[in-house]
Amino acid sequence: MDIRPLRPDDIPLIQHANLENLPENYFLKYYLYHALSWPQLSYVAVDVSRPKRTPYDYPKIVGYVLAKMEEEPTDGVQHGHITSLSVMRTHRRLGIAEKLMRQSQLAMVETFGAHYVSLHVRVSNKAAIHLYRDTLGFKTEKTEAQYYADQEDAFCMKLDLSPIREQIREAAAESGTKSTKDGATGEKGTPTEDKDEGEPVGDVGRDPKKDGAAGKEADTKVKVKVGRALGVGELVERDESKHS
Amino acid sequence: MPQQQLNTREANLFRTVVRHYEDKQYKRALKAAEQILKKNPKHADTLSMKALVLNAQGKPEEAFSLAKDALTIDMKSPICWHVYGILYRTNKNFDEAIKAYKFALRLEPDSHQIQRDLAVLQIQMRDYQGYVQSRFVMLKARPHMRQNWTALAIAYHLEGNLPQAENILKTYENSVTSAPAKTDLENSEAVLYRNTIIAEMGQTERALEHLETDAKHSLDRLAFMELRAKYLTQLGRKEEAAKAYRALLERNSEHPAYYTALTSVLGIPADDESALKAIYDEYAEKFPRSDAARRLPLDFLTGENFRTAAKSYLNLMFDKGVPSTFANLKHLYSDPQKKATLPTLAEEYLAEHQGGQDGKGQANGDSSKGKGAALFFLAQHYNYYMSRDLAKATEFVERAIELDPQSVDFHMTKARIYKHQGDLAKASATMDYARSLDTKDRYINSKAAKYLLRNNENEKALATMGLFTRAETVGGPIADLTDMQCMWFLTEDGEAWERRGNYGMALKRYHTIFNIFDIWQEDQFDFHTFSLRKGQIRAYIDMVRWIDRLREHPFYFRAALDAVKLYLTMHDTPAGTNGVNGTSGKNANGEDAAERKKALKKAKKEAQKAEREAAEKAAKQDPNKAGAQKGKEVEDLKKKDDDPNGLKLAATTDPLGDSIKFLLPLLQFSPKNIEGQLVGFEVYFRRKKYLLALRCLSAARALDPENTRVQEQAKRLREAVGPTLSSANAKLKEVIESAL
Ligand SMILES: CC(C)(COP(=O)(O)OP(=O)(O)OC[C@H]1O[C@@H](n2cnc3c(N)ncnc32)[C@H](O)[C@@H]1OP(=O)(O)O)[C@@H](O)C(=O)NCCC(=O)NCCS
Repeated sequence: MDIRPLRPDDIPLIQHANLENLPENYFLKYYLYHALSWPQLSYVAVDVSRPKRTPYDYPKIVGYVLAKMEEEPTDGVQHGHITSLSVMRTHRRLGIAEKLMRQSQLAMVETFGAHYVSLHVRVSNKAAIHLYRDTLGFKTEKTEAQYYADQEDAFCMKLDLSPIREQIREAAAESGTKSTKDGATGEKGTPTEDKDEGEPVGDVGRDPKKDGAAGKEADTKVKVKVGRALGVGELVERDESKHS
Repeated sequence: MPQQQLNTREANLFRTVVRHYEDKQYKRALKAAEQILKKNPKHADTLSMKALVLNAQGKPEEAFSLAKDALTIDMKSPICWHVYGILYRTNKNFDEAIKAYKFALRLEPDSHQIQRDLAVLQIQMRDYQGYVQSRFVMLKARPHMRQNWTALAIAYHLEGNLPQAENILKTYENSVTSAPAKTDLENSEAVLYRNTIIAEMGQTERALEHLETDAKHSLDRLAFMELRAKYLTQLGRKEEAAKAYRALLERNSEHPAYYTALTSVLGIPADDESALKAIYDEYAEKFPRSDAARRLPLDFLTGENFRTAAKSYLNLMFDKGVPSTFANLKHLYSDPQKKATLPTLAEEYLAEHQGGQDGKGQANGDSSKGKGAALFFLAQHYNYYMSRDLAKATEFVERAIELDPQSVDFHMTKARIYKHQGDLAKASATMDYARSLDTKDRYINSKAAKYLLRNNENEKALATMGLFTRAETVGGPIADLTDMQCMWFLTEDGEAWERRGNYGMALKRYHTIFNIFDIWQEDQFDFHTFSLRKGQIRAYIDMVRWIDRLREHPFYFRAALDAVKLYLTMHDTPAGTNGVNGTSGKNANGEDAAERKKALKKAKKEAQKAEREAAEKAAKQDPNKAGAQKGKEVEDLKKKDDDPNGLKLAATTDPLGDSIKFLLPLLQFSPKNIEGQLVGFEVYFRRKKYLLALRCLSAARALDPENTRVQEQAKRLREAVGPTLSSANAKLKEVIESAL
């Protein structure tokens, strides 16, 4: 399989893989929102060996990780979050999920200065728990009761990314050409998120959370510097969040 | 006639209206508007605001008529025109919206808001020239914002004026006096964006130089490294390119293109198997968990080399018990020798492990170990279309199942074997059994549903899907699957209904898919502004270019082709047999007339019930109820379906006319797919649009001159133009005859 960053035109088949594999599903727009906010963080596994049947064949997605940066971290620490990860059953146990995760984690640090990455997983999901805890080294933070729509509990897991930060720093020092405080991994490593308070992109899908955090997401984002008393025009932007 | 002026109190009230609207406090906004209107019933701007509020409340008709009233009162109010444009926009009539915005802008040329709304629509409609103009004005008004420079560059870029695009980006960069922070993501992305534009102009040398200086600290390390490796290769700087690809492989040894690029810049001849393999071995050793480094050499190795490498790969995978081994190797079967070798290696493995390890596995995707994995491989081998022997496949899968009776994967393959034997009922029952072995895995659930559909069991398939859809969704599983844009299910469900002769349901599904593509097309809208703020410009450009060819997607093609074909069938079936009841005259799959009648009655009842419920809900609706829920309900209300079973669709008197909307995008976006051209001919031929039919025919013939359907269509067209075309159409006749 080919492991590479996602491209927007992969999205229909990523959405397809998600619908095949997981009960937590999203509108296409939610994938676009990831792809256009943090294009460096989401990866796909593609079956490149399939012969094309028409000139319009799309690469078959057999696995994906959809990841993001937390927009308003409650703890004030830059960190990534895994929105969704799955591999088609026909391609499981090949190491695909692990590799997708590792690529995403690296980019979280490099591009966005993430300190850690978090995720939720069903307490009964043995395969995923093995992957996160034993293969990747995630630690269970806490259990969230009835996190999922069907009332199942979730483990809230976290992985400290400082080993990656360290690795990058060492590599930079070794090559000697770059400053040790390389880009986003520097201490004040907060990329220019300040300019961006997250804009409404409308209803984007259904969050695993039973009361639909996708709505919540859009909501928090609506409370943005939309100029008051500026006349009708300024309203339109908010309008968009609902209608498109 | 201009509207009257408001006094101070009312002017304040007007601002309140605007604010409440902004806060989505529609009830309050309406109240304030009414207060103004009581004294100034002809205040056009207030009427317009009221229209806007009504529109937001999901009453577009009222809103439109009010907005028109407002405009007749005051044709010179920019607010009225602006609102008019917004109404058009929310009703997706973008062309009219653009016109209205332009009027508004003429009346208030300095309005940033109107200008911005216009700009967004222009890019949405791909009016690049208009977009360049708008962004130019916006930049002039607010040159201190980097976004405005980037936006103008984007406009030029998409318009195809690359030098000017780069120029704009450069001008901004030069105007900044202090060096941007390394952590400035917007800057990092803008610089990389500029770099890709330079490369797109074909100036690779300069692109590399720019990359290594200005973009050196780019935060997107992967993009930086990939671009650099590519430029070095293009410039023939092979040694450095090799180093660059090695660095990329260190990062991600699962990307085949890096290996091919590396071996190519190293100048290793394609037939020097051992030199090639040495490269892969290096990485296999360095990354013990890498799959690609071990598997990819199987693509180019031959003879004994292949055998040795394949054996060690298979042993590794079987020992680990990887059930996906076959899926990972089946592409090798295009080579007859490899196709012959692989099963013998699996047999060897079995012989070597006789009576050895136990075949016990774990749940969820992990069921075969050692012997089980090898048996499973062989079962899939004999089930594969290039090496099919279904009796042998059955034998191996049964042996595997004996070893691990609870394996989902084994039973899944058994179901596939039944399918290939043509026994859809057994296939679907077996897949359902596989599902029952792991009820927490949605993948196997999806497969079970798919197999039910293949066996025309729509109801049971939906119930199966319902095990994983959200229980709360109003309208049940199908509403949820529609909301979540589950294309494969909608398509397969439609096809199954069609096979059962229920054309209404089939059309319903195909139209749903069509509509989802409309939604997807729309989805880009917010990102025209969103992406400027996020600064991820390269990703945005990729999206714009993708959306331009959105409907070439196989998801669209398949459903649209189904729809066109079905409309053709409906046209060709004598009237009455597919009348209002949405079911066909033909007696597919033993559904007799009485049963169909019963189903129809039930469908009608359900439709009425749904309508009643929606009406009740609408009555209870409190448009100002707080929270996201409210928006959702308005949405629900808006999308109330008055034809859930497609009865109206099936009752069409003009199936050919209805097919056109599906057909046009097929021909426009997938012109090289012969199936589209073939049905295009059929539609146009029946509509006696012979020139259009000819165009499809010529396209099809160019794609595959030997195709028998093409030849048959040519014959029909020739016969048709002969007698039908009178001398008045001599010219047309001549064109067609000379083309044939
Ligand atoms: C969880 C999932 C993504 C794993 O994908 P994968 O590509 O098969 O995983 P990998 O091959 O990378 O395996 C990583 C590790 O997990 C282990 N693992 C994978 N599947 C396992 C299973 N069913 N049982 C036990 N361990 C398993 C692997 O052995 C490997 O362990 P190792 O490091 O000790 O060798 C996949 O099973 C899946 O898509 N499941 C359904 C969707 C899902 O649950 N997603 C996660 C939601 S949070």
